[in-house]
Amino acid sequence: MSKTTQITELNSNPNVVLFLCRWCSGKGADLAGTSRLHYPTNVLPIMVNCSSRIDPQHVVEAFLEGADGVLITGCHFGDCHYKTGNYKTFRRMALLSRLLKQVGVNPKRFRITWISATEGAKFAKITTEMVEDLKKLPPYGKNGKGGDS
Amino acid sequence: MVDQKELINAVKETVSREDVRYIVGYEEGTYGFETAPSFAYTSDDARKFIFNPLCTKNLVVYPILEEKLPLKREEQEDDRKIGIVVKGCDSRALVQILQEKGLKRENLVLIGIPCTGVVNTKKIKDKFPNQTEYTDVKEEKNHYVFSIEESVQKIPKKELLADVCKECEYPNPVIFDILIGEETEVETEPTYIEVREFEEKSLSEKWEYWKKHFENCIRCYACREACPLCYCKTCMADFLDPQWIRRSVDLSENTAWNIMRAFHLAGRCVSCGECERACPAEIPLMKLNKVLEKEIRELYDYTAGLDPEEKTLFGTFNPDDPEEFIM
Repeated sequence: MSKTTQITELNSNPNVVLFLCRWCSGKGADLAGTSRLHYPTNVLPIMVNCSSRIDPQHVVEAFLEGADGVLITGCHFGDCHYKTGNYKTFRRMALLSRLLKQVGVNPKRFRITWISATEGAKFAKITTEMVEDLKKLPPYGKNGKGGDS
Repeated sequence: MVDQKELINAVKETVSREDVRYIVGYEEGTYGFETAPSFAYTSDDARKFIFNPLCTKNLVVYPILEEKLPLKREEQEDDRKIGIVVKGCDSRALVQILQEKGLKRENLVLIGIPCTGVVNTKKIKDKFPNQTEYTDVKEEKNHYVFSIEESVQKIPKKELLADVCKECEYPNPVIFDILIGEETEVETEPTYIEVREFEEKSLSEKWEYWKKHFENCIRCYACREACPLCYCKTCMADFLDPQWIRRSVDLSENTAWNIMRAFHLAGRCVSCGECERACPAEIPLMKLNKVLEKEIRELYDYTAGLDPEEKTLFGTFNPDDPEEFIM
């Protein structure tokens, strides 16, 4: 792909699959809604009971089905409803991000963060940040158009 | 170099024990530079056993692949032990399986062989393309000696050694019941030069590289079948409901399969190189495995397959894990 086409093919409307844990991040997202904070409509929230429920396969699946980015959120360390769930998520996802980076997926497309139930403002800020980042990249396509070439 | 007679005697002695069912080892293959797995049920079968640098295969897959037929009425289950001839990497794969409680240590007899590295059979075939009969290879210090058509050829070890053996840290079996020969001295420490070099490339270069290889993948799952650690009863690639990975052979599905295959071996891969050896499309699968191995060593200071009592990487956590990756 030449440089000129790259610029015209930037993604004006990226899709972000957003995983929320039920106990902290989900409540944080609720708070963002009830406090009438604005956050982009590009995110597709999926609520799971714990962030450790998210299999690396779910992330790969999301990219396969045409997501431009995946954002995983969970409780802060020590706050997990199931005590140690988010520590385990973190080990898995940190390694997955390294692997994806080595295959050529831009690290901006796959992020992880901790949002507590009181951090509605952080939720709005982080989703906006992620979507803004993805708008600067070309769409992550299906069927061989993938990779950030 | 392993003494052939010592190996055969050890196998004979072990297989004639009452509590041992059979022993898996290596025998001469039927074509070119290939060795084949050999099963000794009686002490007579032990005659065929060999060990040389052509013995590339990881035999730890066999006790898991074994089919268990339903028992007839009043029939007792055969719980006699299975013997395996193991090199350094094979024994680490076994330790990893023991850690995950896939096999029981008391059901196994291990004949350990200190390994001095195995050859890359693809490279030999390129050197001697017309060799159709089984040819023995001997190791002499830093050379491999081939006797082909009454002429003796010496080839430096570096040229033919398998890539995974070049940075091998554990050539000696980690666990064994009988050790044959003397332990090999460990000279190298892994530097992960290839991984580090690859890391410095740009994202699009990386993707172009993998695209070229993943396009060739025919999804035969030979990598999975050859891997001693891919022993799930139903692989996630075979599930139909939910269907994790579509079965069509196209680039995006191939990429998903190869990423997930590598990830399912994170913190478990012992770098025996079986996947790469089995791959008919010559995809450098070890390159993906090595990335994870390097990261795990740097981030969590963990090496797979050393202690059967240790807990697995993903089964444990440490509150002090580095957090630079969090947004």
